[in-house]
Amino acid sequence: MTVLPYAVAAWLFGAGLYGIATSRNFIHLVGCLGICQSATYVLLLGLGYRWGGIAPIFYNHPPGTPAVDPVMQALVLTDIVVGATLTALLLVLTIQVHKRGGSLDPETLRPMRGTGTSVTAQGSQDRTGAGSERSAS
Amino acid sequence: MTHFPVALLPLPVAIPLVVCASMLATAHLLPGRMPDILATVTALAVALLSGVIASQATEGPLVYWFGGWEPRDGVHLGIGFSVDAASGWIAAFIGLLYAVTFVFAWGFFARTHGHFQILMLLFLAAMVGFCFTRDMFNLFVWFEVMSVAVFALTAYHLEESALAGAINFTVVNSLAGFLMLGGIGLIYAQSGTLDFEGIAAAVARGGRDPVVAGAFCLVAAALMIKGAIVPFQFWLADAHTVAPSPVSAIFSGAMVSLGLFGLAKVSALVFGGSDQVHRAVPILLMGLGGATALLGGWMALLQRYLKRLLAFSTISHAGIMLTAIGALSLDGTGGMLVYIVGHGLVKGALFMIAGILLATRASVDEIALRGLGRGIGPAGIAMALAGLLLCGLPIGVLDQGTRLVQGALARGGHGVPLAAGVIGAALTGAAVLRAAGRIFLGLGSDPGDEAGAPSADEREKLNRPLWLMLGPCCVLLAADIGLPAELIEHGAPGAAASFLHRAAAGGLAEGPAWLPWLSVAGAITVAAYGLFRRSLPGFVVKPVRATQSAPTQALEALHSGLTGDYVAWLAVGVAAIAGVLAMA
Amino acid sequence: MTPRLRIGLLALAGLALLPGTAAVTAGLPAFGATIAEYGARINAIAPGERHVANMVSAINFDLRGLDTLGEEFMLLAAITGTVVLLRGRRGEGITERAMRRPGRAVIPRSDAVVLACRIAGPLTALFGLYVVVHATVTPGGGFQGGVILATATLLIYLGEGYAGWRDAVRSHWLDAMEGGGALLFTFCGLVPMLFGAAFMQNILPLGTFRDLFSGGLMLVENLGVGMAVAGGFTQLFLEFMEETREADQPDEPGEETA
Repeated sequence: MTVLPYAVAAWLFGAGLYGIATSRNFIHLVGCLGICQSATYVLLLGLGYRWGGIAPIFYNHPPGTPAVDPVMQALVLTDIVVGATLTALLLVLTIQVHKRGGSLDPETLRPMRGTGTSVTAQGSQDRTGAGSERSAS
Repeated sequence: MTHFPVALLPLPVAIPLVVCASMLATAHLLPGRMPDILATVTALAVALLSGVIASQATEGPLVYWFGGWEPRDGVHLGIGFSVDAASGWIAAFIGLLYAVTFVFAWGFFARTHGHFQILMLLFLAAMVGFCFTRDMFNLFVWFEVMSVAVFALTAYHLEESALAGAINFTVVNSLAGFLMLGGIGLIYAQSGTLDFEGIAAAVARGGRDPVVAGAFCLVAAALMIKGAIVPFQFWLADAHTVAPSPVSAIFSGAMVSLGLFGLAKVSALVFGGSDQVHRAVPILLMGLGGATALLGGWMALLQRYLKRLLAFSTISHAGIMLTAIGALSLDGTGGMLVYIVGHGLVKGALFMIAGILLATRASVDEIALRGLGRGIGPAGIAMALAGLLLCGLPIGVLDQGTRLVQGALARGGHGVPLAAGVIGAALTGAAVLRAAGRIFLGLGSDPGDEAGAPSADEREKLNRPLWLMLGPCCVLLAADIGLPAELIEHGAPGAAASFLHRAAAGGLAEGPAWLPWLSVAGAITVAAYGLFRRSLPGFVVKPVRATQSAPTQALEALHSGLTGDYVAWLAVGVAAIAGVLAMA
Repeated sequence: MTPRLRIGLLALAGLALLPGTAAVTAGLPAFGATIAEYGARINAIAPGERHVANMVSAINFDLRGLDTLGEEFMLLAAITGTVVLLRGRRGEGITERAMRRPGRAVIPRSDAVVLACRIAGPLTALFGLYVVVHATVTPGGGFQGGVILATATLLIYLGEGYAGWRDAVRSHWLDAMEGGGALLFTFCGLVPMLFGAAFMQNILPLGTFRDLFSGGLMLVENLGVGMAVAGGFTQLFLEFMEETREADQPDEPGEETA
């Protein structure tokens, strides 16, 4: 089973992508993004692992004891901070979306197109001006 | 012990960080205009320092080891900065662009207690770090800081469009970060180091290796997402459209091209030793770049909302830069570097004009604003000039960059990407010229397909006199036109050589002199067609309308604004890159 | 694009990527067999050269301190961004009135909760501080400890209620903490340069291995990070919490926020 961690990482990323692609709720979407990120945790920690290695803290074990790769652990620590920042920002955006439109459905939120209306270019001679689709609040 | 030029290397990153932290700590004590002043001065200091570093780096890259951890027995222990002349000049250009943008945004974000300036300065520090670093993971850290700092700025207006655009931007760019980190993990496992040189040595030793190819695929995809290359370009059109205009100026002027700058660096310095990558890169970058140039130009022409139009124009120009990287030559790299600067200056100016319209006319909708720009004629002249420069008017930095890129493509025998670049540039120039003609001259009463393009209500606070907004815009255009051509002719070959760590080899090839005129003529023709459609005979207009409308609708529908779609395209793009790598 | 088409596209891309993924997986070093030279070298030299037991801290705050500096400012950017976006509409004003869900009873806080929070709060803060300063010997550090410190301030909210919390926690102080901590960390990089050393070179006495005072500069850096993270996360809680208040005035018109 020497490839299992890598396979798990790939699967997690794929599952997260599927979740984002089909998401109907922003909070669910943020969670799926977190799953994609977990793939990087698993990959990095898997790559830095060594059978029988201790955690790279030489307090109860003398220096020189075989340990896992501390670089990967440090990288994952940074990655976790990245995850926290992204989650916070996305949740704020979600709160504001909910406040503005009352909906949490990614499928109804499209930039520049008002809410929920599917707009394709009709070649219409619309000369009424900007923002006819949505009124300013 | 480090000495004069080398000891400066951390400062362009550290100074903005110190200013940010101090501004945040004293946010409520600072008097009103203080953040503006501090930010402008800091950006200028960064530009100056980077310029000094660049001028000292002509002999070869300057290398700095953080924490004094120099490599031992060939193992790179710490993080290093390695600054060649090209990276230094690009950082100096970015600092300058920021300084001008801060002046443009004078007092615009007064209510936020300097929070806008804090985020922008962090963005600046991250960009400089991204230019200077020689460590893969450090590159990722700056890549992420760049992203995180601007996600919030994109949504600043808190309109629904702004929020949707910011969410798309955040999700897609976060995925880019994860891909990049995955790639870094793979290459670290294979090479046992994170330093550019260490990895390059391991890659060159290794021969054909699927792990190296996989790592390149992931890292390249991440940087192409940042650089808005087809099929990763979707987020850009949303984000640049909704961000406040000063932020968009930096996005288009610096951030997108910086992604491609990183790609050029990584593919040359880190993965350049792999034959597989070396064979795949020209095909990949030429193909995607050409497609991006065409798609961006075409979409730009179909827009009515000026900021969205400019966003697509940026996509088109990113494609042209990508073809230049794909040439994998000194000529191409030199061309790309000059092109980044020229494009940044012109595009920054154009977004500032959009900001002027938002503030003084409360809209950037080309059709709604028809003829309403008459009171602000100077802005119209600037916009027309910028449009002409964008499509290739043969003066200034952008033109020099264009000619170098075309020369590199012509010398390498890449006719198709060359043609795509010429057409793309002509189309984006045409779009800008048409918008300028409609807004400032009141022409074009009969809009074509652009009438069906999305639009929105947006306005920006008018709290500063027109000259204060127009001034920075003119400074950028003047810098593009006024920078002495000899300076670049002398500097570019050396900068490109030091960027690629190769020996300088004389002058760079330039494209044929008539080619820019062809772009300009094409742009004026297309713009004129858009403006005078009504006066043209029916046998010209009807076939165009009949053939143009269907593909137009299809393209607009592709840019659906839905995160889910973008993620699917992202996967397709990664698969495409992997496919080309597998074939090579 | 219809959802079905989208999933089809995604599945197609996934299928196309499958052989590549398999090849990469097969080409990687076998799981658990060995670790990279870089990590092995750090495990070998850092205890001796920096007198620290925790290799991850040695990397984060010494060998690759620049990454952590970037990371700290990434956090600062995210929190500043969050504040900008959340305050965008409602401004900085604070209000007493909580939003009430009609029909849901308001249960008064019990004395047990108040007492438990008053006991646990200071203990949690103490523990957070302990985690911050023991970065070099135990699996702790400024980030982890800072978050625990921020949790302690949340216990004030739980025990004293929203008004008491807002009285105790001032947004300006949090800004000052966050910015000050980040500034301290940056100065840990810049000050060594004044002495002719490299950015973030560890020029303080290194102390004793397995002791609180080990690793020299790392202790100061961790204090800076801990302070910044505690301030930042509390700020984050505060701003999110303020979202549960009733707005004093209706939303301001859009252009005012610009």
